[in-house]
Parts: sequence; structure tokens; C-alpha cells
Amino acid sequence: MPEATADNQNRSPRGASPFWRSLDELQNTESFKEFVAREFPQAASEYPEGVSRRRWMQLMSASFALAGAAGCRWQTEKLAPFAYRPEGYIPGEHQFYATNIFWAGAPRHLLVTKFDERPVKIEGNPDHPGSRGAADTFTQAATLSLYDPDRATTAKLWEQNRSFNKSWDDFEQALAERLAEVGDGDGLAILTPPIDSHAFYATLDRVAERFPQAKFYQHAPLSRENELSGAEMAFGKRLRTHYRLSEAKIIAAFDADLLTGMPDSLRIAREFADHRDPDGDMNRMWAVESHFSTTGASADHRLPMKAGAIAGFLAQLRDKVKELSSGDHEHGEPIETEPTPEEFLEVMADDLVHNQGASVVVVGQGQPPEAHAIAHEINSLLGAVGKTVVYTEEPSPRVGVGTMVELMASMSDRDVDTLLILDGNPVYDTPGFAEALAEVPHTAHLSAFEDETSRLCDWFVPQTHPLEEWGDVIAWDGTVGVCQPMIAPLLDGRSVLEVLALVAGDRSPDAREIVQSALMEATSLSSERAWNKLLHDGLLADSAAEPVEASLQQTGVEPPEYVASEDRLELVFTPSSSTFDGRLANNGWLQETPDFLTKLTWDNALLVSPATAKQLGLAHEKVARLSVGEQSIEVPVYVMPGQAAGSLALALGYGRTSAGRVGGLVDAETGKSAQGIYANDLAAFWAPAPADPVGVNAYPLRPNATVGFLTDGVSVQNTGKDYLLATTQDHHAIDQLGLEAIGRRTGELIRTARKEYYEENPNFAPQMSHEVMVHVNGEHRPTDPLLPFWEYTGDDQYVGDTPPPITPAWGMSIDLTRCIGCNACMVACQAENNVPVVGKDQVAKGREMHWIRIDRYFRGRVDPDHPDDPANFENPEVAYQPIACQHCETAPCEQVCPVAATVHDSEGLNGMTYNRCIGTRYCANNCPYKVRRFNYFRYTQPLYQEANRMLQLATNPEVTVRSRGVMEKCTYCVQRISAARIKAKVTNSPLTDGSVVTACQQTCPTQAIVFGDLRDKESKVHALATSPRSYGILTELMTRPRTNFLARIRNPHPRLSRPYESELHGGHGGGHGDEGHGDGGHGDEHHEEPHDGQHTKEAANA
Amino acid sequence: MGLASADIPVSYSTPSSLERGKLGYVPEVWNDPPWIEGDNDYRSVTDKVCRIAENPRPPIAWWVGFLIAASIAGMFGALIGYLIVTGVGVWGNQNSVSWGFPIVNFVFWVGIGHAGTLISAILFLFRQHWRTSINRFAEAMTIFAVVCAGTFPGIHVGRVWFAYWLFPYPDTRLNMWSQFRSPLLWDVFAVGTYATVSLLFWYMGMIPDLATLRDRAKHPARRIAYGILSVGWTGSATQWRVYEKAYGLLAALATPLVLSVHTIVSFDFAVSQLPGWHTTIFPPYFVAGAVFSGFGMVLTLMIPAREWFGLKDIVTMRHIDCMCKIIIATGSMVGFAYLTEFFIAWYGGNPYEQFTFINRAFGPTAYAYWIMVTCNVISPQLFWIKAVRRSPLLIFIISIFVNIGMWFERFVIILSLERTFLPGSWQSFVPTWVDLGMLVGSFGLFFTLFLLFCRFLPIVAMAEVKQVMAHVDGLAKRSHS
Repeated sequence: MPEATADNQNRSPRGASPFWRSLDELQNTESFKEFVAREFPQAASEYPEGVSRRRWMQLMSASFALAGAAGCRWQTEKLAPFAYRPEGYIPGEHQFYATNIFWAGAPRHLLVTKFDERPVKIEGNPDHPGSRGAADTFTQAATLSLYDPDRATTAKLWEQNRSFNKSWDDFEQALAERLAEVGDGDGLAILTPPIDSHAFYATLDRVAERFPQAKFYQHAPLSRENELSGAEMAFGKRLRTHYRLSEAKIIAAFDADLLTGMPDSLRIAREFADHRDPDGDMNRMWAVESHFSTTGASADHRLPMKAGAIAGFLAQLRDKVKELSSGDHEHGEPIETEPTPEEFLEVMADDLVHNQGASVVVVGQGQPPEAHAIAHEINSLLGAVGKTVVYTEEPSPRVGVGTMVELMASMSDRDVDTLLILDGNPVYDTPGFAEALAEVPHTAHLSAFEDETSRLCDWFVPQTHPLEEWGDVIAWDGTVGVCQPMIAPLLDGRSVLEVLALVAGDRSPDAREIVQSALMEATSLSSERAWNKLLHDGLLADSAAEPVEASLQQTGVEPPEYVASEDRLELVFTPSSSTFDGRLANNGWLQETPDFLTKLTWDNALLVSPATAKQLGLAHEKVARLSVGEQSIEVPVYVMPGQAAGSLALALGYGRTSAGRVGGLVDAETGKSAQGIYANDLAAFWAPAPADPVGVNAYPLRPNATVGFLTDGVSVQNTGKDYLLATTQDHHAIDQLGLEAIGRRTGELIRTARKEYYEENPNFAPQMSHEVMVHVNGEHRPTDPLLPFWEYTGDDQYVGDTPPPITPAWGMSIDLTRCIGCNACMVACQAENNVPVVGKDQVAKGREMHWIRIDRYFRGRVDPDHPDDPANFENPEVAYQPIACQHCETAPCEQVCPVAATVHDSEGLNGMTYNRCIGTRYCANNCPYKVRRFNYFRYTQPLYQEANRMLQLATNPEVTVRSRGVMEKCTYCVQRISAARIKAKVTNSPLTDGSVVTACQQTCPTQAIVFGDLRDKESKVHALATSPRSYGILTELMTRPRTNFLARIRNPHPRLSRPYESELHGGHGGGHGDEGHGDGGHGDEHHEEPHDGQHTKEAANA
Repeated sequence: MGLASADIPVSYSTPSSLERGKLGYVPEVWNDPPWIEGDNDYRSVTDKVCRIAENPRPPIAWWVGFLIAASIAGMFGALIGYLIVTGVGVWGNQNSVSWGFPIVNFVFWVGIGHAGTLISAILFLFRQHWRTSINRFAEAMTIFAVVCAGTFPGIHVGRVWFAYWLFPYPDTRLNMWSQFRSPLLWDVFAVGTYATVSLLFWYMGMIPDLATLRDRAKHPARRIAYGILSVGWTGSATQWRVYEKAYGLLAALATPLVLSVHTIVSFDFAVSQLPGWHTTIFPPYFVAGAVFSGFGMVLTLMIPAREWFGLKDIVTMRHIDCMCKIIIATGSMVGFAYLTEFFIAWYGGNPYEQFTFINRAFGPTAYAYWIMVTCNVISPQLFWIKAVRRSPLLIFIISIFVNIGMWFERFVIILSLERTFLPGSWQSFVPTWVDLGMLVGSFGLFFTLFLLFCRFLPIVAMAEVKQVMAHVDGLAKRSHS
């Protein structure tokens, strides 16, 4: 449970507390010298022997002096956190704090694990409705950004292209002088990102009070403006739209990444998965999108469509919905072939209307306001409002706020005299901003990194990381939460709030005070006690925004004009799954996290459908010149099945030139790259690699932040240059032969069925396992399993009548119906287990170190016109399978290790003894799941370099940092198991289900991963492992994996089921005898009688 | 030169088919033609062989060869240093293909090392007299191949400085033994035993010849060196009696090793779970392949050596002919094994196994498979043609093909790691320059050792050659003085 104390309030955000005595002075006294020389203090042994007056005085004076020494600090010592040990704090124990941060454009609600007063791991706040324990990929990586050695450490003043290191005092002075000149604020402009925070609003008010003429602007490169304008168009008000998937049976997403791309995606994904129960109610997801999103990949039906055509398609849907809901209608005939867009539309509309009140239409942020307005209309036609769609007021500052376009206009008109850019990087993400900035005489930039914008501003001042600052957030649903600093600012930064307070006239702003008083004013928070509870819980109960009544003001909104043309290309800008909008570019964990679909690391690429690539002469891993009007960039091409024909997609957030030594750091004058941290070639292990920009910057092609896609003037040509894309999976670069094999295997690895099929054949998944059959005593039956795990005592050393000690049998279950492939588990595992970042070169060589990977498979019919082109899928389906060590009962890795470095433990874990490992790599060869990862180089080397020492703080002290030449792999978070075991021992209570939560399980937004004791019949994992959907992969190898998968059940519309789906389960009748998997199988009886010939089911289940 | 038309005395008459079929037909006694040709007696053999080691100025070819080989060996050493300092990532190995060139090279060199012991031990026990001219050569080759082979597993491990943990030694720190179920540990025993016995066998066989060199030595340093090496050999009857007995015993001891070492090396693959590796045919197939490659390498070395060192009388075309025949036999066995693998993959019905084999032949790395088949199965079949068996140039070329083919055979086996069970883990293997450098470098080491051997030690077992010379038939011109 979260346990927050208010102790960190005591520490001032910056600066050490004043020390009161010099040790140097003390060192020269005789008593101190003697004290140092002796093993024990004098009095310890000598006191009882009678004490003279003189001796007494000596003793007492020394004692007093030493009493002082105990409270002393060396002047140079910065870290002395335990001089005042916080109450209840036990060194070496974890502490958990609930907090909130703004991260990657949205409020995040966290439970931060601190170890020795430093945050080491981020998890979601289980009590917060916006998180429910989950944290997404970006948030999981926030600790690495906190300890990023490239963070700015000092204020800087640029004068005539020379920089001078300055202090905050200098800045405060300069700011005060500047503000004095500004007078009533005429010409003063303040640019911030959109921040939903009461303290922020209150401080803006104070600034506006002091400078009535000052202008405020907000800018985010991934803007929600379209969505708000759409609401304004429909309702006359800028309302915030909430989707209640818990109420929705039918979900239709239009270019909307519901599951990972929305600010409240964690909640949405959880609701989506919770109502996708194959044994109960199952929702149905429809997706119409130009490029694959995780939502499209999880959808039951997906239609690739150009982004530009979607608004028109929505208008057609509106008409269809109107038509169908006006009277009774009949369901059409099933459509056997691949549906045309019209058929798709008709069935989808039918489905939506049929489930009136339980259906919802969602439109993505990239779509124009008209599309949003049409969606609002459809939702009200469907009766969704108040049920599956809820509107609340959009929180906004009380002061007037302008947009980036307006700011740039006034900058160009020289109306802005003083510009404060508080957070954000507009020079990078807004074309033309750099030129406009040159027109502003006085500029200052607050940022955690000296980025592209900092270089062009007069003043640069370092910003705190969100984990270092006081603040508050208004969650997406309006719930108020406080950001409490998890650590004192490491690098002398200040928050946006503090700088705004400076502008408002505070001499030394106390952010905590500002936050507390702002919340007292704006919310029901009244007492200090309530404040402490707020800090402890991380949220103010019942502070969610009330839904507002929204009535349609305007119906029949026409979609923007769009000329449907086969030849006309469109360019869609997508957020990066690694760098978000570019701000996380310096985070190695994220850069190395493969994209959901492309599995691409350390790069962005132009996604093109196979047909379009052929038509335009583009090729995979070749550089193309992409032009929009007069702007053009060169970008590598990635041929992506499932991409809409004629639509190109390019991720934003790459090509940073001043991100840092990970994301790219190029000297603006010389054009030379600085020395990077991670390797991008072999030489890197001798000489540092250059920190070249990662990927290609797509912002110059994008006119402004509201543009999601461009339909005019896009052209692309192949330059013929080769480019190496570092992917962790090479699917469609695979020949026809391999592709066919993948096609044959995928159905067995990811066992999928339609809901109807599953209801008729609940045991279909375990039945697909190929068992090793033997013929014994005239009976044809599977081979005896070697060790049934519920029999596994693990300890054969007990003697006599003593019963074997009950050890848990750890196991994991991964529900493929719930998995949305979001990668959160990968980053959580990386953060928890100190998994090193290896760099692009090593990923390209196939040496990525992730302990858990997400295998992605396409399935679909190959385009009959081009059967030779392996990538040429027609609208494929996508399936994910997270693969980590399966902890096989009879692990093939164990018996081949010549030095016994990988062994089974008494709880069935397949353990890895790093210091015994000499690195023969035989285990990795023999692992059928290929989950073992080898330290080919000293990948942790950057941790030990002087310039990167801060990175060490990001490592989890509970987990070894591995050296060169040893093998590593998933341990089922053995450190967490140990911690739980120790706790159980100390409290003399048994380990209960749920007391061990692995990092991947903990963060999974859809709770697809469940871990626990397989022997405990009450445990959740036991229930899942014995569920009819449960199966193990490659069980025919007799590995007896401890990780089980639950079959993926899909819920396609009966009229649109794809013909080939029914073929999947064919062809499995032969080869593994019928007795092998009789139907009467999966009850509990075989747990009591494991030896009576029921091995079949065990084998099928395990 | 007259190489191609070397006269072999043929002393049997061809009975007509009629005669042969008749009752009471008694074939004429087979008269074994002499294995040593030309005008040779004991002395001339001694002179010819010892001259090579005694010549104060070795042929210029030796110098050139030695300089090249030693430079490459030096590069090998430098690469090993680079590897140890940097990490095994300098190779192309990766997550899925965790073994790459080093293990290919290891198995290749161990295989090469097979011919020596086969020739010296098994052919000795079977009284194949033709072995005498080539056994020293082949044994030396074995030792040096095992040296090259042994280098790779040692440097292959991720933490070279702990490679000694592979040996089962009583360790007070870890309080544990090695894991005896691992084939890698069996390798340590198998290769270790093989290296030891081969070395002893080679050295023991050399003692009488070393004594000859000692007796002929003019320089005191040589006299002392050969004197120490020949451990007091006088050539007395008692010594010969003990020597022959010991030699026979060692041969008997070494014989099972010929079969065991590559059997156990094949267990590295066969004991694993992987499609394409987990096959019971591996032990015999590896042994046949090893003998095949070993003979290929003997020929590769022998043909230029007999030319340069003037040993054409002692290592005759007839010897080479015999070796060619062994190559046909073992090459055919290997080819049969390839076919059997395919058959079993189909017959066994394991889809992973089936895919692995189809992928080998028609997948992205099919080139390696077809190089292997061409070199190992097709090229040795040319030896059915007598003219090919008589042409040292063609034999030399084919023997090189055999070497290439056998290297690729192991490479093909390793490449099946690219595509194992889960397609999500499929990766493709790309060797680095270090991989290539080390492959070449190991040849440098091998040839350096070999050229040193040619320079300083008796490269033909003189004492044994003399035993099979035609003295019984009075064909030796003069008795040994």
C-alpha cells in the first residue's frame, strides 16, 4: 500500500541546510585525535574504574564535542540524507509514494518506489481511476529521464553567440530588471505547454494581475485543438469527451488510437479489456484508419482507409445510422469475401444501431474538427451520450490563452518584446518559429535540456524533472492530485510554476505553499489533515468533474472537401511510440523500445503499403525523398502491410539535433556530432560513438500543430540509397518460404478463434497442442510428463515423516485476448531489472537485451496479384504474443550449461547465476523460445563513465548490474519474490496470492499478465492455468513451460467473419491421437489424482 | 616431372572371364607391388627425409610460406587479443544464432584432426602398409589441427578469464563440480584425451627417427636437442621389442578415440532440442565427415610437400590413390547422411525439422547448403575416374573443395539457428571481419606449425617406411649400412 510521509516537505527544494560547526576545528583537539586512534570510546571500557575530576571533564568535553560531530556535515558533502532519518524509515527498505506528474502530454498518476531516498521505479497509482495501477511506456521510462546525465545543470546567458554560465540569482536579477522595464506587461508573452493544474492557473492569474497587458500562449506539438473545435462546432462549447468503454458493446474507432494514444488510454484500455471476456460479454471493436495503431491491431474489424477520406466516411456513416435507426431494418446477408468499404460501412452501421446506447464512435485527434462534430452527432443518434460518451468542461486557465499561430503572428509583427518560453521546444517542433524568435529582443527558455530552442534564446534556465517538483494535476476526469517531489532537485532546476511565481513577483517562491493554497481555494480541500491525506492517496476523493449536459447545436456538419483520388498521396503525422512528440528523444529505454507494429528501434520511417511502394518504386530500407510543397526531407521507407493504399505515415519526434547524447546532439556551428552514450557501431566499445540525430525530423513538413495529415502536394521518390533499419523482428523481409512457415506456425503459437467457435469448442486451444505419444500396454497415450508441477516438492532433502516443505510453484499466465501489444511491460521490465540499453548497432545485429519481447505476427491473405511479394498482405490481422522466459519445468537450457550457471530452484524458477556463468551461450541456442540474452559487450559501461554517473541512480539496487560475457533473462522478478518471502517470514504469515507482482504484470494496462503460485488452488493464476483457454507453446518439446497463454478470442461480426478463419483449426486432427485430448478434461479432478492417466490434460494445460 | 604417368609395377595377370569362372581355377598369388618407388634403399630414404630437416637453407618456397603463415598467425593472435579486450560481440553472433564462426571453426578443425589418428592407429592395426609414408605427416597435421580447434572453444566463451571453469577441478570457492550432463563438458574430456593420446602417439612414433637425426647431426645444438627428444634411443633389439609393443598398445588405445571424439563433438548439436541439430544420425555422420575432411587436408598438404621436398618416391601416387579412394568412400557416406537427414525430416513428420531442411536447401542461406553439397558429395565422385586420381593437380583442387565443403557443412548446421521454433525470434547471421579474420588466422596458425614441423622434424616415418620396403623380395638394392 502506498505510504507517504510528509517528511520531504521539510527539505527546501534547493540547497543544503546550513551547517553549524566546522569539523576541521574539532579535528585538532587532542580528544578527537585520541578518539580516532582508539577502537572504542574511552568511557566504554574505562568508566567503571573510577573517574577523576580531570578525567571527567575530559570525557564530558569530548562527548559534547562528538555529540556535535554527529550532527555535522562536511561542507562539500551534498548527499547526507540520513542526517535526519525520516520517521519510520528503515534504510534499505523500499518506500512508496503516491504522486502525479505531467508526462508526455498528459497527467499521470503514479506510485513511485523509492530506495534510499531516490526514486527507482514508477508504477501506476492503483487507487487512481485514471491509472488503476498501470503506467504506460512513456511513464515507465520517466526515472531514466530524471537521472539523464545530459540534463542541463546551469543557467546560461547567450551574448553574441557566446554563452556564459550564470546562476539562478543572476537570472532572477535579470528577470526583475526586464520585468521592471515591461511595466504593465505590454510586449510580455509567456508560452507554456497546456497544463491542467489549479496552482498553475492561480499563478497565471497572479502574473496577469501584475502585468495586465501580458499575453499568454499555449502550445503542444500534438494538439487537441481539433477535438475541442469539433466539440465547439457540435455543441457550441469546447467540451472534453470521455469514452466509457465499460458501457460499450460496439466501439468504432476512426483514426483514433484509443488504447494507447489518448490521454486517458490506460483507463480506456482497462475498460476495453475488462469487457472483452470470452466467457461473458465481449465487446466488438471496429477500426477505420490509415496506418496501424494498437487499436486497429486489437480490433475485430479493420478497414485501411486514407486519413483524408475518413471524415467523408463518417458522414456516410451518419447518414446510414440515421437511415437504419429511423425504422426497423433487416440484417443483410453474410459477406463471404473481403468486404468493400461500402459493405463494411453498412455492417458497422447496422452493428452500431443494433446496439443503441451501448455503442460509441471515436475519432482521433488528427482528424479535422468536422470529423469530430460528425462523430458527436452520430453518438447522439446512437443514444450514446451519457452512457458510452460523457462530456465534461475542458479545464482551462482563467486568463486568456492564445495559440502558437497567434503568437508567431505577433512575434513577426514585433509586438512581442519579451518572450518567456516555459518548457516546450517550439524551435524544433514549429516550422518558422526560429525565424519569428529572431524578431524578439528578449527571450528566455526554461527547459530540462539545452535544446534547439534554448540555443536561440538569450537566457536559458534549467527546469526540474516532474519528479522533483511541487505541483498539482487535474486528471483527465477532473480528479485533483498533487505532485510531490520524490527527490530534491538534482541539478538546480526550477519548475514552470516557480518561474511563473517569480514573474508574478515572489522573491523566493514556495511551490508547496502555492499548490496548497491554490487547491484550498479551488477545491474542497480544507484542512492540513485533508492535505496530508491528499499527499498520501495521490488524489482528492470525489473531485472528478461532473458530466455536463451537451446538446447538439449544429447537425449535418459537412466533411471538409476532399477529392478522392487514387494517385494523390497523403502524408499522416503520427506520434512516436518512443519519443512521444520528440521530448523523450534522449531516453535510451524508449529509443530502444520497438514500435508496436514496425518493431523499429532508434528510427522513424515512412510507412508505405506494399501496393503503394510498388507503384511508386519505393523499397523497404531504401531512402526516399519526401516532399510537401517546397519542403523536402529524406527518410527511410518501411513497407508496412495494412497501411492504407496511397497513404504515407511518418512519426513525429525524431531528428533532434539538440536532444542530448542519446537522441542526437549536433554542434550547431560545426555540424559535428558530440560523443554519444550508446553504441551505434563496433568502434563504440573503444571510442565513443557520435550522437547523431536519431531518425528524421518530420515537423518541417507540418504547417502547424493541428495538422494530422496532409492531402495536398505530397510527393515521394526513391533515392536508391540504402538505409539500415534496426528492427527487433524481421517479418516481411522474409522470403516466401519462411513466410509460409510463419503462416503455419502462427495459428498454433497464437491460438485464435471466433467467439462462436470458442463457445462450441471451449477446449480448442489445448487441443491444438501436439503431444508426444507413446504406445504402452496396448494404449496410445501421451508420454508421462516428467514432473507434474503440483507434485513438485522442489526439496528432496527432507527425511522421515516430515512432510515436504510447501514451496510455491510460480507460474504466469498471459491472456492474449487482453494483450494490446502496448510495450509497457517491456519498459517496466527494463526499469525493474536494470536491462541495459545496447544502441542501434547492436539491435541491428540482433542483440537487443529486452527480457520480455512482444512477438508480432501478421495474418491474412496474400494479395493474389502479387503472391511472390511476402509483404503483400491484404488488410492483415495482427496478433501479439509477449514472450519472456517460460521457466520450463524441464528447461532445455539447464542441462546443457557446462558450469551449472542456470539451474532450477525449489520453487520451480529457472534461475540464472550470473557469477557462475562463463558465457558458452549453449543455453541460448537450446532455448526453444529464444528468450535468453547475452552481454556480448559490456553494455553497462556507460554507467561507469564519469560523465554518466547520474545514470547509476536509475538502476534498481535489488538487481545485479550484469557484466560483459554473461547470459541473462527473465527471472520472474525473483527479487520481488524474495522480498515477499522475507516479508511473509517476518510477519509469520503465508504468502498470499497477489503478494508477488512482477513488474510486467504490475504495469500491464489491460491486466493481461497474471503471476502467482500455480499450486495454490485459490490463486488467480491457477484458475487461469486450468482454464480451457490455457495452453503452453512448444509443449511437444516436453519443456513444460510455467508460462501459459490464454487463447485469443475475437468477436467479429457474424456477417463479416473471414472465410479463412475456420480453416485455422482444421488439419489438426491427425498426428496426435484422439484420446490425447479428450474433451472431458479440464476439471479439477486431476489435481487430486495426478498419476492416474490424466497426464494428457496436464500436458495440454502446462 | 612424369607425375601423371608414374610407373607402378603391376605384377598380376588378368585372367579372362572364362578362366575365372571355371571349377578349379586358382588365382595367381597377389604380389604386392613395392610401396616405395625408384632407386631407393634404406640409406637413400634416410637421406631424403633427413635432408629436409638438415638442410641449412630451406627452399625459398618454405621461407615465403612460413612468412605468410606466421604473419597470418600473428594476426590471429592480435585478433584474439582484440576479442578478449573488447568482448565476444566482435563476432557476428547474436541472440538467436549464439554460436557462429568460432564453433564452426572448432568443429572443422577437430574434424581435420581425425585423419592422423585414423591413419596411424586404425590403419596400423589393420596392417595397411601404405600408411607408413604418410602417417607422420598426418599425425602432425592432427596435432596442429587440434591446437587450432582447441583455441576456439577457449576464446569463444564470454568470460575467457574463467574458461578454466570448464574443467572439473576441486574448487574451494564454488564448492561445486562442473555440470556433467552438458555435452560441452564431454567435449573437454573428448578433445583433451584425443589431443593427449595423439600427441603421445606422434611423439612415440618419432623417437627412432629423432635418434637418426641425432646421429646425423653435425651441430652440437642440434645434437643436444635431438638427443633429448630421442630419449636415449639406440635401436637395440630390446628397445625395438618394447617400442613395437607400446606402439601397438597406443594404437589400440587411440582407435576408439577416432570414433569417440567426433561423436562427442556431434553431441554438442545432437543433444540439443533444435530442429536440424537434434538428430541421431549425427555421430556416424560427423565421424565420416571428419575422416573425409581429414583426408582432404592430408592431400592438400601432401601434394605440394612431396613436390617441394622431393619425396615423390616415398609418398607415391599409389599412396595418393589410396587416399582418394578413402575420400570417395567417406564422401559418399557424407552424401548418404545428407539424404538420410532429408528422408528422416520427411518421414519423421516433425514440421519444424521439415522446415529446417527445406530452408537449408531453398531458404535465404541456400548458397551455403549447395556449396556444401557440391564440394562434399559431387566433387569427390570425380575420383571414380582413374585419370583424376592420377592427376596431382586435380586431386589438390578437389581436396581443397573437400575442405571448403566440410567447413560449410558445419556452417550450415550453425545456420539452422537462424530459424528455429518461434518465428518472432528469427534472425539472420552476418559474420564480421573478425569472424573472417579468425577463420583465416587459424589457417595461419596451422600452417605455421606445419612448416616448422617440416623444417625441424622427420616428416616421414623413416623407420616404418623401411619396414615396408621391398627388402623381403630382395628388391632393396643394398642393405642398410
